[in-house]
Amino acid sequence: MSNDTALAAQEPKTLKTDTLFVNLGPQHPSTHGVLRVGLTIDGEMITKAVPDIGYLHRGTQKLAEVRGYHHCVVLTDRWDYVSAMPNNLVFCLAAEKLMGLKVPPRADALRVVMCELNRLASHLLFFGTYGIDIGAFTPFLYAFREREMILDLFEMVCGARLTYNYIRLGGVMVDVTPEWLAKTKEFLDYFKPRLDEYDTLLSFNPIFMARTQEVGLISAEKAVNWGLSGPNLRGSGVNYDVRKNDPYSGYEHYDFDVPLGKTGSCWDRYYCRVQEMRQSVRILEQALAMLPHGEVSATGVAKVPKPPSGESYAHVEGSRGDLGIFLVSDGQASPYRMHVKAPSFLNLAILQEILVGNKVSDVIAILGSVDIVLGEVDR
Amino acid sequence: MTQDELFNRLSARLPQLERAASPIRDYLTLRLKSTDQILPAAKTLKELGYDYLEMISATDWLGPVNPNGYIRNPNPNVFLPEGATPQNVPGATPGVNYRPVFDMLWLFGNIKERTRVFLRLELPRSNPTTSSLYGLFKSADWQEREIYDLMGVRFEGHPNLTKILTPDFLQGHPLRKDYVHVKDRYDE
Repeated sequence: MSNDTALAAQEPKTLKTDTLFVNLGPQHPSTHGVLRVGLTIDGEMITKAVPDIGYLHRGTQKLAEVRGYHHCVVLTDRWDYVSAMPNNLVFCLAAEKLMGLKVPPRADALRVVMCELNRLASHLLFFGTYGIDIGAFTPFLYAFREREMILDLFEMVCGARLTYNYIRLGGVMVDVTPEWLAKTKEFLDYFKPRLDEYDTLLSFNPIFMARTQEVGLISAEKAVNWGLSGPNLRGSGVNYDVRKNDPYSGYEHYDFDVPLGKTGSCWDRYYCRVQEMRQSVRILEQALAMLPHGEVSATGVAKVPKPPSGESYAHVEGSRGDLGIFLVSDGQASPYRMHVKAPSFLNLAILQEILVGNKVSDVIAILGSVDIVLGEVDR
Repeated sequence: MTQDELFNRLSARLPQLERAASPIRDYLTLRLKSTDQILPAAKTLKELGYDYLEMISATDWLGPVNPNGYIRNPNPNVFLPEGATPQNVPGATPGVNYRPVFDMLWLFGNIKERTRVFLRLELPRSNPTTSSLYGLFKSADWQEREIYDLMGVRFEGHPNLTKILTPDFLQGHPLRKDYVHVKDRYDE
């Protein structure tokens, strides 16, 4: 018996417990970027959690005020760099409303195809990294094998793997080739059976379920009150999907379901995303089957657009939730004001409430299940 | 539901709201007359099912943006010779009503009815203060902090109105149109 233990045994009443402040991040692989969470812990329990953001703030809302509308599309790629197509799309939708541009049907369909492929890529990244967060390394390798194929498809159509700048004002950059369409169909045929494989790999793994089904519970009321969106909101059982709620780009013509969770646990949020991949495949198959012919870009898109003064708002269901753009024009070649309503920013804010009362090891499980991208949080 | 039907339904409970002269395209936009109306209006909207506060934003209507608010040349053009004046820095458009106000914007959504409504409120630049909606909507927490950080609008009643995106040493509010960047140790 050491001296300290002997002392402690003699005077048990003089022993005190104290809380401890722990920094999680900003350089920590499980925070998926530069997020710092200041955790106050009492033993193993979290008593206070303060997310600290801004490490990746690049001021794109300010930069947009001196750039032309075509240049702003380039800025949008940098928010949610894991799924940049919906970012391109939402800016173009808002700007097209201001300019009064009508997008040809083939461009609309191609936009849907690209956004859904990007949703697959983004959810695959989540699927892989969330497994790692919990301690299952193998699914990551499977997820990246498929994600690589999607990125190859994007590279084939626009030359970039992450920052696409493919969806442009008035349409899309370039039409897809028949080879690309054949490869995409080939990929979908390959990918569909993989989804069942994922369920056996991770979704219904007893250890994984035990780690995630009881933690990070968010009630439906709380989720709405905190302004969550995307799979985080639907995991709590709230049926809110912008594709159904406020359709854009012809989503009303596609037949798909909105997967909902029940309890709002980490597993529900996770499984919502896995099921969403099935729905994305359904949308992709329909879109590719009835891809209209014709132009892929509206005529009369100015090189330096100067939309008449006015204000517009557009929002899309991005991979992480309801991504909105509020755009003000005063008739100049640059937007007068651009506000980005980023889903990750709002999804992250709830952490300060739901982390409290959990164990330290569950922090990573909860953080991973919310699926944030810091580029979008900080903009 | 058309915008007119929605307006008639809302104005039955909220007679103090009028339709904005310049609405957001495709959405119903209502204007508040004074700061003390926002909290009761938000409360009534929440009772009516608009319990999803989607967005808080603000626009500074002072005039064209000051190019000195940027750390480097705000609009570099690689085809211009060295030292040439930057192109495409926005100027003022004749006929646009530039005025020293912050135009606040709230977006409330009704998930069940699939409708949404914008509320607007003009705040004078001399005293940009309004009520915080934190007590009603937790999603106001970080959004109000963002607007405070970038635009300098103060929200009374917010429990923790501090900077959120910009670094602690940064002076001023970058999204204000008259913001001028002060050189700090991280520049060049």
